[in-house]
Amino acid sequence: MPARLKENTVSEAGATDLLPPVQEGIFSLPAAGETGSPRLLGGYCRACERYHFPRERHCHRCLGPVEGADLGNTGIVYSFTAVRAKPPLGLPQPYGVGFVDLAANGLRVFALLDPDCVDDFKIGSSVVLAVKPLGHDGKGRPCLRPYFTLQQYPTESEA
Amino acid sequence: MTDVYVIGAGIIPFARHEALSLTDLSVEAAFLAIKDSGLAPHRIDSGYFASVLGGRLFGDSTLGQSVFAEVGISGGPIVNIENACASGSSAVCLAYNALAAGQSDYAIVLGAEKMCVPGLGLLNSGESDIETKLGLVTPASFALRAQRHMYEFGTTLEQMAQVSVKNRRHAAANPIAFFRQPVTLEEVLTAPMITDPLTRPQCCPMADGAAALVLASGPAISHNKRAIKINAAVLTSGSYQNPIDLVRWETDQRSCRLAYEKAGMGPDDLDLVECHDAFTIAEIIHYEALGLCEVGEGGRLVAEGATSLGGRIPVNVSGGLIGRGHPVAATGVAQIVEVVTQLRGEAKERQVEGTKVGLAHCMGADRQGDARSCTVAILSS
Ligand SMILES: [Zn+2]
Repeated sequence: MPARLKENTVSEAGATDLLPPVQEGIFSLPAAGETGSPRLLGGYCRACERYHFPRERHCHRCLGPVEGADLGNTGIVYSFTAVRAKPPLGLPQPYGVGFVDLAANGLRVFALLDPDCVDDFKIGSSVVLAVKPLGHDGKGRPCLRPYFTLQQYPTESEA
Repeated sequence: MTDVYVIGAGIIPFARHEALSLTDLSVEAAFLAIKDSGLAPHRIDSGYFASVLGGRLFGDSTLGQSVFAEVGISGGPIVNIENACASGSSAVCLAYNALAAGQSDYAIVLGAEKMCVPGLGLLNSGESDIETKLGLVTPASFALRAQRHMYEFGTTLEQMAQVSVKNRRHAAANPIAFFRQPVTLEEVLTAPMITDPLTRPQCCPMADGAAALVLASGPAISHNKRAIKINAAVLTSGSYQNPIDLVRWETDQRSCRLAYEKAGMGPDDLDLVECHDAFTIAEIIHYEALGLCEVGEGGRLVAEGATSLGGRIPVNVSGGLIGRGHPVAATGVAQIVEVVTQLRGEAKERQVEGTKVGLAHCMGADRQGDARSCTVAILSS
């Protein structure tokens, strides 16, 4: 079987225009009509030269001002698991979560992992950010969630 | 600083108490602890009540005042406490501090939870938390530690499963435990997967329950032969370092070190430990933080039997959270009830021989790969 190569861009175009993000300000999408990748958004303190995710209201170290920061869209899996019990928030069963070390700044962030390949993640896997409708918010309304997927899907025979 | 002692301990069976309310459970545990102390209730001048879910599930608030009034304790300061899984043990720390400072002569501490209700689902660290929104549930936060521990130290599925086997075996000898049936290694390994690699028996069961303690300051208890001294009771919070190390758990290590320093003791002084085995991997990491073995060696420690009843340093002879069950706010108090019972030599068939010093360790909630609260108490006979 040929390798399945995953689009790194928003996979269900259209729906993304209609649905709200699970939380404002944690990712960006390419502008309408343009191609590109979603980016993880966070904050940056100039005085401390530190990034954080999500963006802090004030820098927790110096209480100075925080500016918005593009945290990039790639990273390496530090740890991962597949949640196989009944999922919360309308997420797929099973779904994956993990900690990802961001390539751009070394931040270790908690993240959803692609539910379509929960059994293919390994510690050290290279991953890239994607966004799609995934589950619902606390009030049962469908929403967009950012998640990391494998940069290279394994072939069927490898998987 | 005045010395502080436990002079009364009470606990009710951890089970599904369908017919009993949170108040019913609480009042019974308070009654047992006061009776055990031999005190007239009006002499208890302060109270600390811990419950995590009472407000959310039943709309309860300031339940402590109500519960304590029913057993004759009123008029003094009473505080209601929520600190996730460490709520009960946080309450113990607050009472200890007030007594040590001479602000109180006798205090009651009570942890209670009623959570066996339909549709509760997996616990999380708060619905407005970003990690909860991104799918974090409590078992997953420990599964992520387990994956990393296996990767870095070669810890095996069998070693983790041995924690369940041990704690379920211990629980079978504890009349108040949720599970009274032991499990085999095979049963643990083949049970349904909750979150890789943790199967169901590696995750503590929810239960309804309550536990209570009566604490006294030194001058008040000179004649009491069943009094158990509290050598240290510390409460800490996470440091939320980034990047966080999921297996060399800084908050866990720092909290244990602080308790040892305050007590003037170390791991070699301990005769038994009750620790927060919410999941099997948690107990293994706590061995390492407590200095019962080197970092990375926790899996081997349980597999060689060192932490079983009869071993070098028995851990969770009560059955722990995995065997006794985990009514969230009751757990931290129940751990100390167990240590007190052991140090008094009253634990019957699960008695650890010749106990003089015991430690109780508890943790609560997740934030950025860290715990939000951690408590460590050291007690001696
Ligand atoms: Zn700063």
